[in-house]
Amino acid sequence: MDKLLRNKKAIVFFIAPAFLLFTIVLFIPICQSVYYSLCSYDALTNPEFIGLENYKQLLFNDKTMRIALKNSLFFMIFSCVSQLVVGLLLAALLTNIRKGRNFFKNIYYLPCVLSSAALGLLWMFIFSPKLGINQILAQWEIQGPLWLMDVEGFINLPMKVIAFVALWQYVGQSMMLYMAQISGIDKSLYEASYIDGATKTQSFLHITLPLIRPMVATAMSLNCIGSLKFFDLIFNMTEAGPNHQTEVLATHLYTQGFKYFKYGYASAIGVVLLLLCLIMTFIINKFVKVDSYEM
Amino acid sequence: MKKFLKKIKLSKVLIYTFLSILAFIYLAPLVWMFFVSLKDNAEIFTSPFALPQRIQWENYTFAWTAGYLGKATLNSTIVCITALILSLVIGSMAAFAIARLRWKYAKLMMTYFLIGMMVPIHCVLIPLFKTFSSIGLYNNLIGLIVPYVTFSLPITIYIMEGFFENMPQEVFEAACIDGCSIYKCFSAIAVPLSKTGLFVTGLMSFVSNWNELLLAMVFISDDMKKTLPVSLSKFVGPYNTNYVQMFAAIIIAIIPTIIVYCCFSNQIVDGLTAGAVKG
Amino acid sequence: MKRKVLSVLLSVAMLSSLLVGCGSNASNPAPAGDAAADEAGDDATASNDATPADGEVEEITWMFWDDLNATEDLISLGYKDVVERFNKDYEGKYHVTPITTNLEEYYTKLNALVASNETPDCFIVSPGPNLDTYVEPGVTADLTDYLKADGWMDTFNGGEGAFSQQTYDGKIYAVPLNTAAACVFYNTEMFEKAGITTMPTDWNGMLDACQKLQDAGYTPITISAGTAWCLSMLAGYLCDSEGVDLDALNAGEAHWTDANVVSAVNKMLEISKYFQPTAAGDTNDVATANFYNEEAAMLIQGSWAIGQINGANPDFEDKCGVFAFPGTDGRVIAKSDSLAMSATTEHKDAVIAFMKYFTDDTAQKYTAEVGGKIPVTTVEYDADKAPAQLAYVMDVFSNAKSTFGFYNESMASTEAGSTFDDAMVSIYLGTPVEEGLQTVEDFYQTNVWK
Repeated sequence: MDKLLRNKKAIVFFIAPAFLLFTIVLFIPICQSVYYSLCSYDALTNPEFIGLENYKQLLFNDKTMRIALKNSLFFMIFSCVSQLVVGLLLAALLTNIRKGRNFFKNIYYLPCVLSSAALGLLWMFIFSPKLGINQILAQWEIQGPLWLMDVEGFINLPMKVIAFVALWQYVGQSMMLYMAQISGIDKSLYEASYIDGATKTQSFLHITLPLIRPMVATAMSLNCIGSLKFFDLIFNMTEAGPNHQTEVLATHLYTQGFKYFKYGYASAIGVVLLLLCLIMTFIINKFVKVDSYEM
Repeated sequence: MKKFLKKIKLSKVLIYTFLSILAFIYLAPLVWMFFVSLKDNAEIFTSPFALPQRIQWENYTFAWTAGYLGKATLNSTIVCITALILSLVIGSMAAFAIARLRWKYAKLMMTYFLIGMMVPIHCVLIPLFKTFSSIGLYNNLIGLIVPYVTFSLPITIYIMEGFFENMPQEVFEAACIDGCSIYKCFSAIAVPLSKTGLFVTGLMSFVSNWNELLLAMVFISDDMKKTLPVSLSKFVGPYNTNYVQMFAAIIIAIIPTIIVYCCFSNQIVDGLTAGAVKG
Repeated sequence: MKRKVLSVLLSVAMLSSLLVGCGSNASNPAPAGDAAADEAGDDATASNDATPADGEVEEITWMFWDDLNATEDLISLGYKDVVERFNKDYEGKYHVTPITTNLEEYYTKLNALVASNETPDCFIVSPGPNLDTYVEPGVTADLTDYLKADGWMDTFNGGEGAFSQQTYDGKIYAVPLNTAAACVFYNTEMFEKAGITTMPTDWNGMLDACQKLQDAGYTPITISAGTAWCLSMLAGYLCDSEGVDLDALNAGEAHWTDANVVSAVNKMLEISKYFQPTAAGDTNDVATANFYNEEAAMLIQGSWAIGQINGANPDFEDKCGVFAFPGTDGRVIAKSDSLAMSATTEHKDAVIAFMKYFTDDTAQKYTAEVGGKIPVTTVEYDADKAPAQLAYVMDVFSNAKSTFGFYNESMASTEAGSTFDDAMVSIYLGTPVEEGLQTVEDFYQTNVWK
């Protein structure tokens, strides 16, 4: 058996296609990107090496970068927590009902499969002060806020609105992952606990939660990375405005790189983003993930 | 006993009410979008929430013909299905090697692939485009398939690795005693046992590729090779947006997704009830 | 059974994708070689070398920022006609294929193409910092000789003067296609009912008119701060009327915190109390809709909006008047789309022939009569066919003492323009004037005046 698993030829056969493709299409461009981040490189001129200049500018001199970092971190924390709580809640509720489980599950998962660019346009419409929700609120004589243009506060209203829309769109994903995990738990465990007089809540806390912990780590790292890279919804709902107030790292990268064509500078933002993702994944795996239980 | 029944009923009622309200929040915007797609451009500014005064099916015919949506759907289908199959095959092969085969660098290789998940697509766009256009992959559907497969690989490997890792060792040992080769172990045991995982990752990568805009926008110029998301953006003009037709096009574009999704989601349910998921 | 069908389908899909891929490989035109770049000097006649043998069609590409089939924009539809006419007239000799994206991704894609030596033979570009980016590294070809060769330049209104925004060191790098002027559109009926008989010509007159309209129960002005450039266009007019000198600012001889900028911005805040209540969040589409749906009396917009207004509410054409933005001492904001030619194209003659189709009488007539923009050539057009508003815009334009560009397109860089736009929006949303202007000043300090 062991010999079979150490078969060098087989290892190469299995890993080579993915490795080659990945290296050529992704890793080499990343390396190029890292090099560009050390260059002064505008769209149409040749890159010129300037050392850490871009990073200095980015970290110490760029107000927008600070806003973007703040928003990205808020967004990451919010989606990690909210997706965990709401996703688990939905998964728990849905595994406990029999009738209509698939119906509800399909509905909650639906936005995940739709283009977030299209949904972004839709939500922009809904939160437009003249056309959307405010028109409904006006029927009850409530003066709605400016939703996507309100810039008050440390975390402003538009960011919160976007965070909720993101929760709306992506919570189905977490729910699915948790549901897959929960359905995998041996039913006899629950039966045993009920015989011992445990309530449903108790059995959820003491059986379900510990058993799905590995999936929590998985889902959380997916969420974290996803929310740090988050782009489509924001770009379509606010275009990172007003006045950069809803800027996140990915939109800042896009604006600098593709609106102002500062590829070198944008690459530096990309590298920062990549590092943040690496750190977050490391933290989550260190503290949340445990060796998976035998189920 | 009666009291007990009542209690159960009450909690059930609460649960169902909660779920229904949530379902409404999920469906209402989509239904509203459908209604908007049947209005005319002036009407959406005056009465966005009312039912359409006159149902304008011509929005759909216009969107279909002017946006070349038929061709775009075909292109998207070709690109996404090819990318889906390739990424599942290549990805689960790599995941199998990492999870089950014994070699020194397996962990390192996993980390290497995971980095791919963290790279925003914008980062590699320019270097990638330069390379691709120099080898004739610009304006070519293969030029989309290759990056789509690659970008789907990390998530595929990540999830599939979990599935393979948690499979009981005994199954493989038994197969080994029966004289199975390692290739046979992979194709006849590991893959069929992780059907659920394949469906979940397949769905995830299919959906993200189906909706991908930026690469498709930059890599394809020929109208006849554009994919659906690019065709949707055709309705955004320089000074004004052709909302109704855009929404009509969006509705047309999401229908195949919903169909694919329904097929897949039932498969997932089958997989779950069969108890295939252990990871 | 189901599974079998599926697998057959999938393999067919894969196969066909391969075929599609191969087919496209074969039909891909060879990328323009580097050698052509060196040849593309000033000598215009050298291009004849590239003319292929008889019977072979010269394929050129033209890149544009709106889809020609799905668009409702009348100007874009006019360009579609141009392409069709050109392909028909030159059948067997030249053929142009448009490459279209939407405006948002236009420059992203164009730059990617340029960076990998796939520059489209001909492309549209806004004059100002955008054109600078292509002229400086030599992406665009010098068109002066072509313009002067056979009297092409003389067909333009104002001759060489028509090219002031496209001229760098005496060489012309792009051809303007049409001009749009930013004016104040107004609802004549509302003005009448509010008792306004003469159009405001100075700032106080404007404020008076607004007050009268408000007293009569109308929303005086509809504007969009959600689409930043709309508000910034108003700010641009106000800055100009306060004597803000952009050239001095770009050169570092004046400052964004100077008194005249502050006073211009204060004027913007002064008039902002007459905006519709949702101005902060309304997009350009919504703001324009407010006007043609008769929910507000005035709209400050470029003349490209005429097509949109008349298209959405045809009954409104009779009620829609136009006057020049008051108090600017006869200066008008004007904007033109321009065409540039790739310096590396192998089909110079084809591109020039194609460009001429944009400025021939048919196209320019269309520009005026249907598109509602001001033609760049001296073409005679039928004023009765043109939308009523165009005549008013033409009036404004011909009475103008001078024109200046969009404010955000006249600054040191695209980013400087956006910084200005954003500062205006944030001031409107409540940032103190000094603080808002300081961000622009800071940007110039670190990026422009170093």
